[in-house]
Amino acid sequence: MSAYVTTLTIDGAIVAIVSIIIFALYLVLNSRKDLISKMANAEGYDSEGQFVRDYVAGKPRELGLSIFVNDDAKSLGMRYIVTSLFFFFIAGAFGLTMRLSLTSPNPSLLTPDEYNVLLTEHATLMIYMWAVGSALGFGYYLLPSHLKVFRDIRGVFSSIGYWLWLLGGALILVSHSSVRWYFYPPLSLQLNQNGGGLYAWLSVLGIEILFVGLIITSITILFIILFDRSPEVKRNQFTLFTWSIIFTIIMILVSSPPIMVGFALLFYDYFNPIFFTAASHSVLLFTILFWFWGHPIVYIAIIPYFGLIYEIIPKFTGKQIFSYKSGVIGLGLLLILSELVWGHHLFNSGLGFAWVLFFSTTSFLVVIPSAITIFNYIASLWSAERIRITTPMLFVINGIIDFIIGGVVGVMQSAFPVNADVHGTYVITGHFHFIFLGITTGISFAAFYMLFPTLSGGRKYDVKLARLHFYFTAAGSMLMSSAWLLGGFLGMPRATAGYFPFFQPYQLASIAGGFIIGIGQIFFLWNMGKSWLKAPSVDNQNCLEQVNVISTEMTGGAQ
Amino acid sequence: MSDKKGRNLEIYFMAAVIVILFSSAVMNYVEMSEHPNAVATDAPTPPAGSYVIHVVATQWEWTFIYPNNTTSAGAFSVPVNREITLIVTSMPSEQGPGVIHDLYIPQMDVQVYAVPGQNNSVTFEPTHTGSYYFECVEYCGEYHYEMRGYMEVVAQ
Repeated sequence: MSAYVTTLTIDGAIVAIVSIIIFALYLVLNSRKDLISKMANAEGYDSEGQFVRDYVAGKPRELGLSIFVNDDAKSLGMRYIVTSLFFFFIAGAFGLTMRLSLTSPNPSLLTPDEYNVLLTEHATLMIYMWAVGSALGFGYYLLPSHLKVFRDIRGVFSSIGYWLWLLGGALILVSHSSVRWYFYPPLSLQLNQNGGGLYAWLSVLGIEILFVGLIITSITILFIILFDRSPEVKRNQFTLFTWSIIFTIIMILVSSPPIMVGFALLFYDYFNPIFFTAASHSVLLFTILFWFWGHPIVYIAIIPYFGLIYEIIPKFTGKQIFSYKSGVIGLGLLLILSELVWGHHLFNSGLGFAWVLFFSTTSFLVVIPSAITIFNYIASLWSAERIRITTPMLFVINGIIDFIIGGVVGVMQSAFPVNADVHGTYVITGHFHFIFLGITTGISFAAFYMLFPTLSGGRKYDVKLARLHFYFTAAGSMLMSSAWLLGGFLGMPRATAGYFPFFQPYQLASIAGGFIIGIGQIFFLWNMGKSWLKAPSVDNQNCLEQVNVISTEMTGGAQ
Repeated sequence: MSDKKGRNLEIYFMAAVIVILFSSAVMNYVEMSEHPNAVATDAPTPPAGSYVIHVVATQWEWTFIYPNNTTSAGAFSVPVNREITLIVTSMPSEQGPGVIHDLYIPQMDVQVYAVPGQNNSVTFEPTHTGSYYFECVEYCGEYHYEMRGYMEVVAQ
C-alpha cells in the first residue's frame, strides 16, 4: 500500500511540475503573440501569420524561444532539431544508466523492472524522437533553401504536427511502460509490473498521437517539395538531400497505416481483449503489422542522413559528387526493397519455409542499393584532389566506416542459419548501434556543426572541443559496438537485466565504450555553452543551405 | 579517376557484390531446405524415431516434458547422437498470461519462438556430450533475464 502511495505522490508531483511549466510557457507565448500582433498592426498587416512569414522568410534565423511561436519553415526545422537533440540526451542518459546497472551479472543499480522501463524508453525515444525528429528537422530547415520556395504557407499544419509529435513523445516518457519498442501483445496487454507496466496503455495512446503528428508533418513537407518550390528548380536539379527526404516521406506514408491500425486494435484490447490474444490465434499478426513499419523505420532513420552525406562531401572536397544518377537510383531502390524485408525480424517465429525464403532473399537484395550508395561516397572522396578534414568531414568518414561494418554484419543475418544463431543476441544491438551512431547520430552532429554559424547568429564553435567530441563519440561507439558483436556471437542475449557471468568481459568493454561516448557528449554541451557566450564574429551564412556550392573558401560552418 | 574509368569500376564493383549476394542466397536456400527451423504446426507430428520434448514457456520458467511424461523445469537433458525434436509453446501462469518467448541454444544453432496458441517445432542432433546453455531471447516481462539454464547432453 505504501509503495502505491509513493507512486501516487511521485506521479502527482510530476504532473504538477509539468503543468507549471506548460502554464509558464503559455504565458510567455501569449505575451509574445500580443507583441507580434502589435508589430503586425504597426506594419499594416491584417494577418499576423502573413507578417511573421514575410518578416522572417528567406532570412537566416537564429535559435531562440521565438522558434516555438513562429510557424515559418526555418523555425519549424529548428524546433524539430532542438527537440530531437533534447530527447537524444534524455534517452542517452537512460542508455548509460542501463550500462551502469550491467556492470555485475545480476541486476545491481536498477531492479529488473526499472531496467526494462529504461530499455523501452531508450529505444522508443531514440528512434521516434531523435532519429526521425532530427531527419524531419533537417528536411524542414534545408529544403526551402534547396528548392528556393516561393511561398512559405504551410507552417500551421506542421506546427500542429510538431506539437502532436511532442505530446506523443512526452506521454511515452511519463508512461513508464516496459513493453519494449515492439509493443508485442499479450505482454503489452499485461497491465502490471510483471508485463508492460501499469500505464502501458498510455504509451500506446502516446505512440498513436505521435504517428498522427509524424504523418501531418510528412505530408506538409511533401507538399512543400511538390507545390511550393520555385518553378526554376526542375526535378533533375533536386539536390540528393531533397530526393532522400522524398523517399523517406513516401516510406513513412506507405508503412505507417498498418501499424496505426494495429495500435488502435491493441488499444481496444485493453477494454475487451479480442484481437491479439492466444485464443484468437493472432498473436503473431501484431508482430507482422509491427515489422511492416518496424523495418522501414530503420531506413527512415538513415536515408535522410545518406542524403546529408551527399550534401556535405562536395563542400569539403571541392568537387561534385561522383554520380548524381546512381545516388538517386541507390536511394530509390533502397526505398522499394526495404519495404519487402520486414519478415526477417520473425524468421524463428514459425512463418514457414516459403515466407522465410522470400524474406531472406529480399534481405540479400537490399544490400545492392546500399553498395551503390557507399561506392558513390568512396568514389567521390577517392577522386577528390584534396579533402579538407574538418569536424563534419570526420563524422562523415567515420559514418561511412561504421556503416560498412554494421552493414556487413547486417547482411550476414539475412542467411537463415546465421539468423537462428544471432537473432535476439547483442549481435543485433551491435549491428544497429554501428549504423545509428555512425550515420544517424554522427551525420546529425556534422550537419548541426555546419549550421552552427546560422543557428547561433554568427558565432564560431570551438574546433578543439568539437574534435574531442568527435574522437570520443567515434572511439566509444567502435569499442561499445565491437564488444557487443563479439559477445553476441557467443550467444549473449540482449534486452536482459542480468546475464551469465562468463559474458562479463564483453559487457564491461561495452560499458567502457558507452561511457566514452557519454564523455564525448559532455564536450558537445560544453562547446555549445562556451561558444554561445562569445560575441558573434563571423558571417551568419552556412554552406549546407546553398545548392551547388563547391568552393572550398566558404567561411561559415566549415571548420 | 576519369569518368569512364570510374563508371567501369562501379560496374565491376556492383557485379562482384551481386555475385557474392547470389552465391550467399543459394547457399542459404540449400542450408534452409536441409535444416528447417521453427516450423509452426497446429497438431505436431514429429518425425518417426525422434526424441520428442514438449517445451512450455511461462512467465518466467521453461518446463520440459519428456516422452515418458516426466517434467523438469529450468534445465533438461537429452541423449547424444539422437535426433531431438522440441515442440515449443507458451502458456499462462500465475504470474501472467502466455506471452511470446524465444528459446535459444547457441551452440546447437537452435532458436524457436514460443508463441501462445501455436506449436513451433525444431529438430537438431547433438553430437558431443556436455553442458550447453540456453536462454530466452524475446523480451517477456520483468524477470525475462532469469529464463535461462543448461541443457545436459548425456550418453545414451
